[in-house]
Amino acid sequence: MKLLPNNTRPALLALLASAALAVPATAQTKLDIAIVGEADTFDPMMSTKDVVSIVTQHFVETLYTFDENWGVAPLLATELPTISDDGLTYTIGIREGITFHDGSTMDSADVVASLERWKTQSPRGKGVADKIASITATGPFEVTIQMSTPYSPLLSLLAFSNSAAAVYPSEILAETIENVVGTGPYMIAEHVPDQYLQLKRFDAYVSRSEPSSGGAGARKQLADEIRFIPVPDPNTRVEGLLSGQFDFADGLPSESFARIEASDVADPMLLRPFGWPIFAINHKAGLLTDLKTRQALQAALPIDDMLFAAFGDDNFFVVDGPMYPEGWTWRNDAGVDKYNQNDQAKAADLLKETGYDGTPLRILTSRQYEFHFKMAEVAKVALEAAGFAVEMNVVDWATLGQQRNDPALWDIYITHSPFLPEPALTDLYTSSSRLGWAEPEKDAIVAQFTVETDQAKRQELFAQLQQKLYDDVGFIKIGGFNALNGIRQGLTGVTATPWPFFWNASK
Amino acid sequence: MAVYIFKRILGLMVVIFLVLTIAFVIVRLAPGDPAALMLGPEASAEDAALLRTQLGLDRPILVQYLTFVFNAVQGDLGNSIFFNQPVTQVLLGRAEPTIFLSLFSLLIALVIATPVGIYAAYRRGSWLDQGAISTAMLAASIPSFWTGLMFQRYLATELGWFPASGYGGPDAGFWVRMGHLALPSIVLGIVNSALIIRFTRASMLDILGEDYIRTARSKGMGERRVILRHALKNAAIPIITVVGLTFALLVSGAVVTERVFNIPGMGNLIVSAVLRRDYPVIQGTLIVVATLYVLINLATDLLYLLVDKRVKY
Repeated sequence: MKLLPNNTRPALLALLASAALAVPATAQTKLDIAIVGEADTFDPMMSTKDVVSIVTQHFVETLYTFDENWGVAPLLATELPTISDDGLTYTIGIREGITFHDGSTMDSADVVASLERWKTQSPRGKGVADKIASITATGPFEVTIQMSTPYSPLLSLLAFSNSAAAVYPSEILAETIENVVGTGPYMIAEHVPDQYLQLKRFDAYVSRSEPSSGGAGARKQLADEIRFIPVPDPNTRVEGLLSGQFDFADGLPSESFARIEASDVADPMLLRPFGWPIFAINHKAGLLTDLKTRQALQAALPIDDMLFAAFGDDNFFVVDGPMYPEGWTWRNDAGVDKYNQNDQAKAADLLKETGYDGTPLRILTSRQYEFHFKMAEVAKVALEAAGFAVEMNVVDWATLGQQRNDPALWDIYITHSPFLPEPALTDLYTSSSRLGWAEPEKDAIVAQFTVETDQAKRQELFAQLQQKLYDDVGFIKIGGFNALNGIRQGLTGVTATPWPFFWNASK
Repeated sequence: MAVYIFKRILGLMVVIFLVLTIAFVIVRLAPGDPAALMLGPEASAEDAALLRTQLGLDRPILVQYLTFVFNAVQGDLGNSIFFNQPVTQVLLGRAEPTIFLSLFSLLIALVIATPVGIYAAYRRGSWLDQGAISTAMLAASIPSFWTGLMFQRYLATELGWFPASGYGGPDAGFWVRMGHLALPSIVLGIVNSALIIRFTRASMLDILGEDYIRTARSKGMGERRVILRHALKNAAIPIITVVGLTFALLVSGAVVTERVFNIPGMGNLIVSAVLRRDYPVIQGTLIVVATLYVLINLATDLLYLLVDKRVKY
């Protein structure tokens, strides 16, 4: 029995305190956000980790961002760029009157210096560096990017908060930025490692005037403070949410859904769909360099059983073959007849044709994400039924991160990704990725896809790419899965996204 | 005694050197790449290699080891790869919660265990004795994470008597921070009381059978005085030993409990450092833990002198 409902205790305490002091006070709105771990860096240019994006987007901004429909929208740029007919010249207007947290004013020199650093040091920026001929300030508030070859994902890359093309004052730019200074609606007040990151409202922030839409439009700075609290244990995040300690908790276990739903303190927030589990295939070495063996693998996998074992509740997964979910522009049905075949007899026949000698199929996975491991367990049974010898290599995430860079150590590794707004934001399709999926026709499609600027043609090319993915078994999308977050009752202005933000949140 | 202490400190040096070497070797034998972890899933192998170079992790192992030893003997445990801060600073930041958590837990354990252990011995074979021993066994058998989860759920979340987790936010004063340690201290106190109850009971049983206890009673001395003055004092050495060991273990980091309650102490730090492959922090933590362990054991040995004049070093 509760002595007092948790959500009434702070209010009651506040009432008592104000009665005791008998002086008027201005209430400070503070948001306590439980995140899955500490951000390794506050420089989002240098990391592709989601937790870094979630935190840093509040104090560091980019030229562009994504609206609620994942369309690119201006943020520090005045508007979408003017792109020359040949797709080689991007002229970008920069907003005037934008102030950095150190009090300096942003101009084109800062943008150019930041983009140069992004191009040479950021994991995603380096991927596009060879296509950029020059980045120049063509006015105090205008920047021109000259491409050596058309590259249609450029705007999405400039808008992405992950390995972000962040804009910093040119004075602080270095290989490692000691104190990150941005233009965002909040600024860093205090960081105590593994305890909290305290952000305070940046009073000189100039919001955009358009209505808020996803990350785009007005950023209203409704809360005075936002505190990001790293809480690595998922159960501790649940208890903290339900006890009223946290206003929002990220990445909760699916088993906690019913408890949160029944709570009178917090509500579940489902991000439907969040992302897709992936069986990444080694095309550089080993068993799966052979197409027929890959096809046998594809035929044998019981996708629905794997997803059920992994997530246990229909609320949290969807058996879905297309690479993008319903409602996304990239969705198409090409090749999906090969999805979820669950046909071990066919797999056995294919395997026989290859003259398979019993070499173990090595699955590299981790229990860092329990659903990876559970999927692998079910897959193992089905693959063994098809005649594969399967060797499970279950390691911690750090080891997996290292071993997957060595093609001699694995045939499949298991990972997952959120659905990214632009297919080119993942390198899985490219032959230069650690998978090494190289196939001439596919590579030609990828090359064309990245230079094509007409959206309808890009969609058609992506359908061809998806067809190739299934035909050549480049990697295997297992399905779609949903993510569960928890939000305090009464907290508004937070939308379900893989990278939740709180500048429009109030309670 | 000075010679004894000097010898023990020399021994401590040897232990630290061995720990330092073993820690260095073990963390590097473990697979896993801190650079790949820091850069995130989309970073390429080339990016990770570049970062490894920047972090000095591509240098020959022997060079890394000698640099580490050379710096460590000067008190420099290196810089945390993850936090980009001196390891000593990172460790100091974890000292307060761990020390207070250990002290509170030990206090709670002693408050529970000493009277229960004494009374169980005094009433040997009674239902109280059986009950105390069974409860102690139960407390020792239940994993601390389960106890922690249950207490967290029912006492913090459902009843709202305690903060569910953490160590207070930016505005948290000393007492608020201590309030956050209350529930984990109770959990650890209960878990650790089990061993102390058993040792206290066993030790008291030995003493209560001694001739001088019978003599004291036959001289008409009150039971309270017999138990507390004569029996407990003579039973103290094994109890002090187990209390010392318990304290050393607590200070070394109550890994599971700190994790469950998200207390930013040494235990939580070492788990995170292992998962992040933050080599300097792992090494530094192990050195500090080993040193504390040896020092607490030394203090325990010296405490024997106070309670038993027959002990000589």
